[in-house]
Amino acid sequence: MSGITQKRNFGAAQIILFLSIAVLVIVVAVPVLLIFFNAFWVGGKFNIRDVLKIIGEPDTYQALVNSLIIAAGTTIGSTIIGTFFAWLVTRTDLPYKRFMKSMFLVPFMLPSFIGALAWKMLLSPRAGFINRFFMANFGLSGPVFNIYSYAGIILVEVMYLFPFVFIQVCGALERMDPTLEESARISGAGLFTITRKITIPLVLPSILSGALLIMLYSMAHFGTVAVLGIENGIFNIPTLIYQRIHQSAGSFASIRTGTVLATVLVVTAAFIIWLQGKILSKGHYQIIAGKSFRPMELKLRTLRVPLFVLCVAYIGFTIVLPTVVIFLVGGLKTYGLPFTWENLSLDNYKFILFDYKVTRDAIWNSVTLGLAAALITMFAGVMISYVIVKMKVRGKGFLEFLGMLPFSVPGSVIALGVILAWSGKFGINLYNTVWIILVAYIARYMAFSLRANSAALEQVHDSLVEAARACGATMWQALKDIVLPLVRPGMLAAFFLIFLPSLRELTVSIMLYAPTTRTIGVAIYTLNEDGETVVSAALAGIALVLIVTGQSLVNYFTGKSEG
Amino acid sequence: MSTRIVAVVLAFVLLLGAAEAVVAKENLIIYTSMKESLIGGIVEGFNKKYPDIAVDYQSAGAGKLMAKIAAERESGKILADIIWTSEVPDFYSMKREGILEKYETPLIKEILNPFDDYDGHFTAARLGTLGIAINTDLIKTPPTQWSDLFKPEYKGAFGVADPALSGTAYMSVALLDKQFGWEFFDKLHANEARIGKGSGQVVDDTASGELAASLAVDYITNDKIAKGAHIALYYPPELLMAPSPIAIFKGSPNVEAAKKFVDYLLSYDAQILVAGEGTLSVRTDVKNPPEFMLPDAADALKRSIKIDYIQMMATKEALIKKFTDTLQGK
Repeated sequence: MSGITQKRNFGAAQIILFLSIAVLVIVVAVPVLLIFFNAFWVGGKFNIRDVLKIIGEPDTYQALVNSLIIAAGTTIGSTIIGTFFAWLVTRTDLPYKRFMKSMFLVPFMLPSFIGALAWKMLLSPRAGFINRFFMANFGLSGPVFNIYSYAGIILVEVMYLFPFVFIQVCGALERMDPTLEESARISGAGLFTITRKITIPLVLPSILSGALLIMLYSMAHFGTVAVLGIENGIFNIPTLIYQRIHQSAGSFASIRTGTVLATVLVVTAAFIIWLQGKILSKGHYQIIAGKSFRPMELKLRTLRVPLFVLCVAYIGFTIVLPTVVIFLVGGLKTYGLPFTWENLSLDNYKFILFDYKVTRDAIWNSVTLGLAAALITMFAGVMISYVIVKMKVRGKGFLEFLGMLPFSVPGSVIALGVILAWSGKFGINLYNTVWIILVAYIARYMAFSLRANSAALEQVHDSLVEAARACGATMWQALKDIVLPLVRPGMLAAFFLIFLPSLRELTVSIMLYAPTTRTIGVAIYTLNEDGETVVSAALAGIALVLIVTGQSLVNYFTGKSEG
Repeated sequence: MSTRIVAVVLAFVLLLGAAEAVVAKENLIIYTSMKESLIGGIVEGFNKKYPDIAVDYQSAGAGKLMAKIAAERESGKILADIIWTSEVPDFYSMKREGILEKYETPLIKEILNPFDDYDGHFTAARLGTLGIAINTDLIKTPPTQWSDLFKPEYKGAFGVADPALSGTAYMSVALLDKQFGWEFFDKLHANEARIGKGSGQVVDDTASGELAASLAVDYITNDKIAKGAHIALYYPPELLMAPSPIAIFKGSPNVEAAKKFVDYLLSYDAQILVAGEGTLSVRTDVKNPPEFMLPDAADALKRSIKIDYIQMMATKEALIKKFTDTLQGK
C-alpha cells in the first residue's frame, strides 16, 4: 500500500514541477527572452556595439542614476516609516490600533500616480494649493516646496509604497512566537536587548523582503515619475523608454532602444535579488512552529498621546488631504476655478459614469482584468512557490529568478515583450485584445504571488506535514488539510496584492490598450495628459471609491471566513 | 471554503463578460489626436447619418498613435481604418511607405486645401491654429507679438507641450524655427520657458496659474474659456497653423465606410461641429461662432507660416531632441 502511494506521489511531484516550469516559461521567460533577443540580435547578428552605445549616452546614464536615486530614497524612507508604524500598531498600546492599521493600509490601495496627480495639484510650484496658500498668506515669494523634484518624487513614492513594508512587518510581528521574547525577559534582558537580539532578527526577513519589493517597484515605477518628473527633465528608465518610443513615433528601432534600456534594469534587478538572497541565507527563520500566543504590548505611557497625534496627522496629510483634493477638483467645472459652490457640481461624475463610453469601458475592463489576473496568478503562484520552497529539486533558483523577472522589468517593457511574443509571430495573435493585457498582468504580478505564497509556505514547518504523513495521510491529504489552510492567508494576500494594483494599473496597459480595451489607469492618465484635469480627477475619484469598496468587501468576506 | 466558491463563480461570470467585450463587431476604427469633445460629436453625427456603420475611435496624442500603428504593422495588421491627427509629416511618411489608401474626395473643390501637392492620400479636415493662451489673472496686457514671450512677466511661466507627445507642439516648434530661427528657443530658454506634457495639459496649467501662458491649441483653449476658465487666446501676426489631415489605411476591410466618413467629415454638417468646437473649419461656407476670438479661416491660411513638410519629416527626431535639450538647458 505504502509503495503504491509512494509512486503516485512521485508522479504528482513531477506534474507540479512540470506545470510550474511551463507556466513561467510561457508567461514570463518567452517575453523576457524576446526582449533580450531584440536588444542584442540585429539583422541575424549578435550586436553589442549598439547596446553599449545606447547605455553610454548621457541621457540613458542619467536615467539609470535617477532610477537608483529615486529607488534608494524611496526604499529607505518607506522602510523606516513602514517598520515604525507596523511596530506601533502591533506591539504597543496605541489608541485605536485596529483603525490605524487599516488606515495605514489605505495608501496601498491608492494608485501612486493618482497620488502624484493630487500632490501636483497641492504642491506644484506656482499653482499648488498649499504653495499658493503660503505665498498668499505669509508673503513668501517662492513656493514652500516644489513637487517637481527628486525630493517630491521620493516623498510621493514613499507615501504610497510604504505599506509594502508595513504589511509584511505587521504580519511577522503578529505571527511571531511571543514566548521567545518572554523567555528573554524572564532571563533578565532589557527591552533594547530583546528588540535587538530577538525581535529584529525575527522580523528582519520581512523587513528586507518588503524593502526589496519597494526597491524593485520603485526602480521600475512609471506613474509618479511620469507625472512629476518629466516636466523638469527628471527621467528614470521607464519614463525614458516611454519618451523615446513616442519621440520617434514608434518606429521599431525605438522599441529596440526600449529593450536595451530594459536590459540594464533587468541586470540591476537581478543584482538586487542576488543580494537579498545573500542576506536572507545568513539566517533562516520559521516563525510559526505550530503554537501561537498573543504578543505582549508595550506601554507607551507619556508618548501615547503624541504618537497618536503623529499617526492621525500622518494619515490626515498623506491620505485624507490628497483624496479630498481629487474629489474636489473632480467636481470643478474647469481646472483653475476656485472651490466655490457655484463652481462645484457632480456633473463630471455623472458624465463619467453614464455618458462617457471611454470611462465606462475602462472601469469594466479594469475590474474584469483584475479579477481574472488575480485568480490565475494566485493559484499558479501557490503551486510554483510550493515547488520552490518545499520541494527539493534542482534548478529551483532558476524558477525563482524567472518568477522575479517580470517584477524587475518595467511594465512598459513587459508590454513590449508580450507584444513581441503574442502578436502572431508564434501563431497566436492577441494584440489589440483584452487577452494580451491579461497575459501581461499575469507576467507582471507573478512575482507578488510568489513572494506572498513563499513567505507563507516558509512558515509552515515541515514537521507538520511529516506528522500528517506519519499518521497515514497521503501527500494530497497533507497538502489539502495542513498546508493549504496554513498558506491561505498567503494566498489571499497574493490575491489582494494583485487584484487591487491591477485595478489601477497604468504602465503595462498604456502600451497595450486598444480602442475598446482602455483600463482605468490609462483613461485617467490620458485624460490628464489631454488637459482634462477635472474629468481625470473625477475618474480618479470614482476609481478610489471602486478600489476602497472592493477592499472593504474583500475584508468583509475574509473576516467572515476566518471567524 | 464557500468564499472561494463565490470568488470563483464571480470571476467566471466576469471572465465571460470580458470574453464578450473581446468579440469584435464589424466596425470602423478611427485613430485620432482630436480630443473627446470634438471627435465624440462628429462620430455621433456620422452615426445618425449612417446608423448601420459602427464607429469606434481612439483618441490619443499623435506620437502615441504612431507608436501603436508601428507596433501593429510589425504584428502584421493595422487595426485602424482611418487616421486623423495634426502631425502632417506623419502623413507624408505614411504615404511614402505606401500604407495609405488613395481617395480623391469629390468635396476637395469645396474646401480650403493647405497642401499644394494634394493627391488624395490625405485630405485636410480641420485647420488647427495655435496661439498664446494667457491666464487673465496673471497677465494683464495681451501679447501681440511672439517676442512678447521674452518679457519678464512670462519668466518661468510659459509652457510648450512636449513635441514628442503632441503633434501640434512639434509642428509649432518647426514653424517657429522656420520663421524666427533657433535663437527664438534660446531666448525662450533664457526666459525659463517650460516643457509641459500633452497639448491640453499646458492649457489646464495656464488656467490653474501654474503657467502664466502657454502655446495653446485653439479648440482646447476655447473649450476651457467656455467653461469659465480665466484664460484668453491671442494670435501674433505670424500664424501657427497645423492642418489636421485625415487618411484611410490601405487594406482596410471597411474602405467604403471609411470613404463615407471622410466625406461626412468634410461636409457642412460636420464642419459646423468643427467650428463649434472653437477651431477653424476647412469650409469657407462655415463661419466661426462669434463667441470665439478666431481669425477667419481663409485669412488665417494666408497668414500662416509655410513649411516644407517633406523636409521637416527628415529632421523630426533631431528637432525634438534639440528642442528638449535647449529648453532643459543641456
